[in-house]
Amino acid sequence: MTAAIAGLGMTEMGKIYGRTATQFAVEAISRAAEDAGLTLADIDGLYVNPGVKNDTDLRLQSTLQMRDTRLLATIQGFGSSAGQMVQYAAMAIDAGMAEVVACVYADAPLKEGKRAGAAYPGQARAMEGVGSLPFAAGLKAAPERYAVAARRHMERYGTTSEQLGAVAVAARQWAAMNPAAQMREPMTLEDHQSSRMIADPLRLLDCCLVSNGAVAVIVTSAERAATLRQPPVHVWGWGQGHPGYVNRRDSEFGLVTGAARSGADALKMAGVGVDEIDVRELYDCFTYTTLITLEDYGFCAKGEGGDFVASGAIAPGGSHPTNTGGGELSSFYMWGMTPLSEAVIQARGQGGERQVPQHDLVMVSGNGGVLDFHSTLVLSPHPKTR
Amino acid sequence: MSLAPVVRDDFSAPFFEASAEGRLLLRFSPSSGAWSEPSAMVCSVSQAADLEWREASGRGHLVSWTIKPGRPRDDQPAQDTVIGIVETEEGPWLTLLLPDADVAALAVGAAVEVRFVQPEGSEHLPVGRFVG
Repeated sequence: MTAAIAGLGMTEMGKIYGRTATQFAVEAISRAAEDAGLTLADIDGLYVNPGVKNDTDLRLQSTLQMRDTRLLATIQGFGSSAGQMVQYAAMAIDAGMAEVVACVYADAPLKEGKRAGAAYPGQARAMEGVGSLPFAAGLKAAPERYAVAARRHMERYGTTSEQLGAVAVAARQWAAMNPAAQMREPMTLEDHQSSRMIADPLRLLDCCLVSNGAVAVIVTSAERAATLRQPPVHVWGWGQGHPGYVNRRDSEFGLVTGAARSGADALKMAGVGVDEIDVRELYDCFTYTTLITLEDYGFCAKGEGGDFVASGAIAPGGSHPTNTGGGELSSFYMWGMTPLSEAVIQARGQGGERQVPQHDLVMVSGNGGVLDFHSTLVLSPHPKTR
Repeated sequence: MSLAPVVRDDFSAPFFEASAEGRLLLRFSPSSGAWSEPSAMVCSVSQAADLEWREASGRGHLVSWTIKPGRPRDDQPAQDTVIGIVETEEGPWLTLLLPDADVAALAVGAAVEVRFVQPEGSEHLPVGRFVG
């Protein structure tokens, strides 16, 4: 395996109105190419991941005036897409299909004057047939669907709302040191506990942001990356885990996620143990997602995620720096590109005030659906030696 | 209560015919002997394609739940919505509105019975009520 991430491009993100996902994507890819010291003409592969609005796709190639592209697809693995794109790009480069692959996520769900909740589809879904019964019963949007998962974890392991709050507070402490973060004002556990209930047990401050914008990365061979402008971020290992929860007795929904398989596979490919990971960038659509991913990756024992996060381990100064840019909870919500972009920044040592001193191995997660789809990357500033 | 209306399609017609009579149908695979949720197209245990509708007991227990805070409307006080994941005696899980549920009674393993209600413009839909 010889792939490396050589470029990172991020647009302005958040309540940025009047621009389409495609326009954001063009800017992100252009910035990523420039960051790498390349031009758009150097890109011969393109993966496009549209977000919830699903309004950009592989036709971005023609928008970018790309010619004779050797690799081109729309990738849709929901929140696991960013990791998946890097994995497929690495394999394509290793196979000789392409040399420089741009991977982009872009979305513009926020509309001026509309609430963030209105950005998400579902209300217009046809209510026909027995597949509609959960929706008809009220399990519609992401918060209530994750809420039943979190509640199950709480009932089984004694996880508390205050422990979920510790995840939110840690994310905000990191965000305070990230100039690109949308939410930087201080937050206390009391703020979390007094924030309004969205879907019990999840409060407002358990939920991620919604953002307009785009993020792109450039993947190329380690050899070529070494000749480019930025320090290469080498891809040491990867995995995917899609549990295929069935709605019946013995389902592990809410208790174990695809992170368990995905993380183990990624660590095995990287040839490293979980104890060797220096920095964690985890998909945090909800505080509970961070907590259960930490458990499933093996940073703490199953069921002990609550005590682990409440100990301060993941906060600045803690033993296990996690979501060092503020994550989707406090920085910005670009699906799996939120953790991936911060992983690239940390691996390069470009985190400024929030830079983790020891950053030789960075583990990145992507999570989609309701814990249904998972991808993992293990990244390093060093060429793979094991 | 906030059940949204659901209409039948060809696949679900037997389910809703039974629900109008107060009977819960699930999917059953004669080859595996396993039950699957109503929307299953292949067996949730063996992936066999021989699923057929079969009447279930309509009893189960609570696995997990969420409470969605209500909003006050006109002169009506806010009423919270409780939605539960209920494991039927046969094994499949159902997502059920739990109308008028006592929040203090929410507990893993709490016995639940399936009843049916008919929202305006809808087939009869299953809901859960605590028993015992």
